[in-house]
Amino acid sequence: MRRLLGSMLLLVALSFLSGACAAAGPTPTPTSGVALATNQELRSNLAGEPDNIDPNRASFSHEITVVKQVFEGLLSFDDQLAVVPVVANEVPTVANGGISSDGLTYTFKLRSGVKWSDGKPVTAKDFEYSVKRMLKPETASDYASFYYDIKGALELNSAQATTDALLSALGVQAVDESTLRVTLASPRPAFLQIMALWSVYPVRQDIIEKFADKWTEPPNYVGNGPYVLKEWVHQDHITLEANPNYWGTKPKLQKIVLKMMADENAALAAYKNNEMELVAVPAGGEKAIFDDPVLNNQSLRYPDLVTFALQFNVKKPPFDNKAVRQALSKAIDREAFINQVRRGVGRPTTSWIPPGMPGFDANLGSGNRLNVAAAKDGLAKAGYSDLTKLPPITFQFTDTTGNRTIAQFVQAQFKQNLGIDIKLEPMESKAFQQLIKDNNINNMAFLGWGADYPDPDNWLPELFGTGAGNNHTNYSNPEFDKLAEQAKKELDNTKRLQLWDQAQKLVVDDAPVVFLFNRERFWLKKPNTAGLKTTGMDGFVPGDWFLEQGYITK
Amino acid sequence: MLQYAVRRTLWLIPVLWGVATITFVLMHSVPGGPWDREKTLPLTVQQNLNRRYGLDKPVWQQYFRFLAGVARGDLGVSYTYQDREVVSIIAGGLPVTATVGLTAFTLAILVGVPLGLAAALRQNSLLDYVSVLFATSFASIPGFVLGILLIILFSVTLHLLPTGGWGSVKQVIMPAAALGALPAAWAARLTRASVLEVVGQDYVRTAYAKGLPDRVIYYRHILRNALIPVITIMGIELAALVTGSFIIENLFSIPGVGRLFVQGVFQRDYGLIMGSVLFYAFVVALLNLAVDLLYGVVDPRVRYR
Repeated sequence: MRRLLGSMLLLVALSFLSGACAAAGPTPTPTSGVALATNQELRSNLAGEPDNIDPNRASFSHEITVVKQVFEGLLSFDDQLAVVPVVANEVPTVANGGISSDGLTYTFKLRSGVKWSDGKPVTAKDFEYSVKRMLKPETASDYASFYYDIKGALELNSAQATTDALLSALGVQAVDESTLRVTLASPRPAFLQIMALWSVYPVRQDIIEKFADKWTEPPNYVGNGPYVLKEWVHQDHITLEANPNYWGTKPKLQKIVLKMMADENAALAAYKNNEMELVAVPAGGEKAIFDDPVLNNQSLRYPDLVTFALQFNVKKPPFDNKAVRQALSKAIDREAFINQVRRGVGRPTTSWIPPGMPGFDANLGSGNRLNVAAAKDGLAKAGYSDLTKLPPITFQFTDTTGNRTIAQFVQAQFKQNLGIDIKLEPMESKAFQQLIKDNNINNMAFLGWGADYPDPDNWLPELFGTGAGNNHTNYSNPEFDKLAEQAKKELDNTKRLQLWDQAQKLVVDDAPVVFLFNRERFWLKKPNTAGLKTTGMDGFVPGDWFLEQGYITK
Repeated sequence: MLQYAVRRTLWLIPVLWGVATITFVLMHSVPGGPWDREKTLPLTVQQNLNRRYGLDKPVWQQYFRFLAGVARGDLGVSYTYQDREVVSIIAGGLPVTATVGLTAFTLAILVGVPLGLAAALRQNSLLDYVSVLFATSFASIPGFVLGILLIILFSVTLHLLPTGGWGSVKQVIMPAAALGALPAAWAARLTRASVLEVVGQDYVRTAYAKGLPDRVIYYRHILRNALIPVITIMGIELAALVTGSFIIENLFSIPGVGRLFVQGVFQRDYGLIMGSVLFYAFVVALLNLAVDLLYGVVDPRVRYR
């Protein structure tokens, strides 16, 4: 649950995932013939102190940015977000015998020669330990529930305390030094993507037992990735240096400095003062960049796997009526919002799954685009031709600059296009989060979602399944539940995606949420910084899945 | 005086206990908890987190557990920052905040008091007008505005100073100036007003009549008496400066303690909130005591009972 969202996120800009592959980042420039600078150092901003850089516990995007530099898992994503092997020597498939035909047993073969930064070999035992530790209730990992399909995982993670019996019943086992076998309780075709996440990167039992909570401090923080943690000055900066024992291609960037400047405008000033190579453009600061010919040329813009929407409490009038929800969708000019308020940054949408991942359908929901006549008609048919009959509508959201502009825009649109007055209720972030958690939306609230992994499996059941953890609209459609249940387990990928398509169509038609726009990341990058590969799933820092491929030119 | 100091110090205990209790009650009555996120965590995960941090226990047990910890000098662990101990988090930020705060304070005294004194002694002169202009301007410009102006001027335009961060003397200058401007302005205004009042007193006229040299009259008779209100205000100001400013520390990315409390509240980091509040209350109470004791030094009429 990488919590969402730059524009919306709170003061501490712990933004989440990002976006997309069809339009994924720039192709890396070949380095041959390019003069490299002697000082291969990249400086960027994390915008805040990571709570946690323990791979098993990390959950915010700025934490994951650090983890990804120091650790490497069995699998990862390429810049098109396809699953690729890293420490595993191949991606398990049924054809290569890595996945049993019933889809329940996964066998990962480790590449030989993979080393920890202290020189010891990485073994299947390290992965077994990591998965077990992540699932122990004592570890209290935010992402544990992603792995509940592993046999015995739910039982272990929801126990009062770890017992030997629970641990040995867990379907994770290092068969030998270089083979890890994972057994699932039920088939889960998205499992390979889930195994590519940082939560199951290998960790060292001897180090964690020796240093306990201090193991994430340098020099204890031993990883197997291209960088090592050189220094962590709390609340100030983290310095990573190239790992001399790295088993893969040696990185060109020798040093990465990640600062913790919480004030976006101060960070931008630091960038202008040449203290950073890579910085985020503050929300609302787009125009200032476009108006500056130098900075405009340094723009780094790419789509993110994030969708923003309005969600309704579908149990309460007037939003218990589907026609009202659809009518409101038709009363919002999304293009005007992106073009005028956001200066063209972002992408209007009328469907849920963003471009750049399976399940995206450009034409889906086109019937819900701006159409004032149809909106008025819809309201009238729903019995609200007399607007005074409408119960009062409040729009609840976390109070941030970005969210306010969205809320005010929506308010103006409803007034202008339908003559409906809505009341805005900005809330402190935690108060809003509790409201959402308790499924207590008054009647309309803001919603943002970013990909944990690029699959409809992560986008639909969790939000629209009956009683699901992030279903805060009280939406319930048995047909959707049936489709989702099938799709989650369907081993035939074509069929699986078709099922998800049908499920998404139901949601778009039922409109428990009204889709607004997809996020676009907007950063600045110095002209001497090259080789960054961005994806729609980047953590806080753009290109952080492949930072080791970056370099600084003369 | 020693007896007075000891008694006042002992009074700190019930004061801190009261502060801790009020904070604890408030903290648990605001909506939202440390595990509330943009994406709701599954119930099992929330339960595991609660158990790990003892939040599964009844609230009264948490309260007594916290008090018992404080009695041992243990403020508990932060819920957000990797289980780091609150004491060590505060200890890490304190030298940073204290450096900036004391620099700002020194700046405020060194600029404010002489300026106020000079203005009062040359009342209605050009110097007086300049001093009033200085004091009014800096009293009305918020620190963060001044901070941004300093960054734009010295970092973005002149490239003389780094925009923020910590580790070198250069990085102290702008935050200390931004933080010290307001107290400097206050010190100047207070000193001027107070000196003007003292100058009209009979004992000053007597001193002049005795034919004492100006220097002696200024320092011994005027300044010493005029400083009493200045010390009161500046003592409180010092407490605010050394406990840090959220806004200035955020703006200049200074890893001090000023940000901790506010961050703690936003994150509902109960451990960090309780620790910072107690620390803050302790520093304020201690500096108030120091101010009270200083009165006796500057003003012989003050007696401690």
